[in-house]
Amino acid sequence: MTIIARRLAGHLARGIVMILVVATITFFIVRSIPGDPVAANVQKLIEQGMSAEAAQQATRVLYGFQPQGSLWDQYLDYMTGLLTFDLGQSITHAGAPVTGVLAEAAKWTVLPVLAGTLLSFLVGIILGVYAAIKRTGKLGDVLAISGSLLHGVPQYVLGLLLSAIFATLIPILPADGPVDILYEPGFNAGYLASLFDHAVLPVATYALAAYGGWILAMKSSVVTVLGDDFILAAELRGMKRSIIFRYIARNAILPLFTILALSLGLLLGGAVFIERIFNYPGLGLLLIESITMRDYALMGGAFLIITVAIIVANIVADLFYSVIDPRVRSGEEVSA
Amino acid sequence: MSVLLESSSTSAAMRRNFWAGVWRVMKRKPSRLVGAALMAGFAFMGVFGPMFYPDPLPRDPNLLTRPPSWEHWLGTDDQGRDVVALVVTGSRYVLLAALVTAVITVVVGTGIGLFSGFKRGRWDTVLMRLTDMKLTIPGLPLLLVLSTVWKFSSAVQMGLVLGLLSWGGVARAVRSQTLSLRERGFIEAARGLGLSTTHIVGKELLPSMAPYIAMNMLIAITGGVYAQVGLFFLGVLPYESNNWGQMLNTAVFRSGALTVPSALGFLLGPLLAILLLTLAIVLVVDAMDEIFNPRLREE
Repeated sequence: MTIIARRLAGHLARGIVMILVVATITFFIVRSIPGDPVAANVQKLIEQGMSAEAAQQATRVLYGFQPQGSLWDQYLDYMTGLLTFDLGQSITHAGAPVTGVLAEAAKWTVLPVLAGTLLSFLVGIILGVYAAIKRTGKLGDVLAISGSLLHGVPQYVLGLLLSAIFATLIPILPADGPVDILYEPGFNAGYLASLFDHAVLPVATYALAAYGGWILAMKSSVVTVLGDDFILAAELRGMKRSIIFRYIARNAILPLFTILALSLGLLLGGAVFIERIFNYPGLGLLLIESITMRDYALMGGAFLIITVAIIVANIVADLFYSVIDPRVRSGEEVSA
Repeated sequence: MSVLLESSSTSAAMRRNFWAGVWRVMKRKPSRLVGAALMAGFAFMGVFGPMFYPDPLPRDPNLLTRPPSWEHWLGTDDQGRDVVALVVTGSRYVLLAALVTAVITVVVGTGIGLFSGFKRGRWDTVLMRLTDMKLTIPGLPLLLVLSTVWKFSSAVQMGLVLGLLSWGGVARAVRSQTLSLRERGFIEAARGLGLSTTHIVGKELLPSMAPYIAMNMLIAITGGVYAQVGLFFLGVLPYESNNWGQMLNTAVFRSGALTVPSALGFLLGPLLAILLLTLAIVLVVDAMDEIFNPRLREE
């Protein structure tokens, strides 16, 4: 238990370092945008009749840091803002604080991503075991090829195809926005049904895009385990098939937890595509909008929050991993 | 002298056997030959394709956004240009960038993964911290943010950036595979025999990991296509040359291909190209998997 606690502490420390790194990257990217938008904004406001003081104040609000003092001072200012969750204010959302805008958008990303991931994980690992056991047969072939294809096809291709088929050619599902505006938001049947309807295509796209990876990873993992000596030994000792199957599954599923964290990260990145196609107001769409509108405070905030979500997913996956696999724990002790 | 001759003739025989094995594996499933043919077709299209068309492509104001017809198999775009011609001329940028991406990803990833997993110790810790950091920063959002300062004007530049942003997964995968392999009997035996590290890594570790690396090559090539086409599709990069991503962007967000059926061909062109390319790579990698991984062979 203490080992796990120590691991957790290490992860948290590294997570904080990562957040600082990403915040630093955003700070310098905003600073290095050609034409210095910060100075241009101050200049513009002064020309519009604002005092220099007020112009700098307004610009600070916009970009999240003060265009005054040395670069180091500005950087410190920006980082202190972070500590108090002050990510500046969005210009495109009528000056609302970025943190609030992000919180509003997060729920439209997190729920569909989780639903799609869990759905594809369950289906993928079950079919992956079949693909491994029946790998010499027709069924195994079909499963493996379907997995490879879906794994290789980008999310936006799947999303565009689903949208073209189920929203345009056979219009049975909505493909625009998260909910019909004619319903009163709240716990009423019409609103919830509309929410569900609108979520079907995005969630299906997340699930289809991830399914191929799971089936491939599980198949190759099971194939590796099948050749291990201890499986052969167990078979020779005449152990029950169900117990052998548990051996196989337990050992084969281990490497998949690392991939789970990575795939959550990939899906959050992919949320950009799916949300753009289905016009779903999550973090990805927010990031795109902030870039096209040059809303830098919002851009930095959206980038940061996506990274934080991935850091948390990684920590969770790693803890899972060390709880399940005793070899990892002992390995850590030796090298520490 | 005789020893030298003997060893060179056995290695020649081994090479012959290898190619005979390759041909056997390819022949067993016709789908694999299809995959290889498709891949050769894409290579031809990327290298020679643009030479068959005038640059710039002719625009025809009487043929704006037409549905597929005999003259224009996939219809025309919103400037009256043939969609098939656009797909062919747009392939060079996409394929070149994807190739650069894949090479950088696999070489850097495999190198770091092998070194880290085999050496363990301090280097391992440093390299894996670095890898973790790369993996944690989400690639696509970072690219989007970077696109505010960087224009990715050439295909090689695009491939370079994508490759340097995507080796993390390969490094991690190769390292964990190395870690599990190095504890197996045959590697321990090789170490016990006092064989050199180069021999163990090159002759014992790499061959047993070839299917794994091949799988990662698949992910890297498709990933390279995926990322760059996606960036252009999202519309955050300026229109430089024509490529599949820009076609998708124009089709969906300017011509309304998802609501106007006549623009559907415009959308289908690049989608079909991406699907076929993916199919080709998948089929070829399926064959490679069997060539390099005897355990999968169905004799």
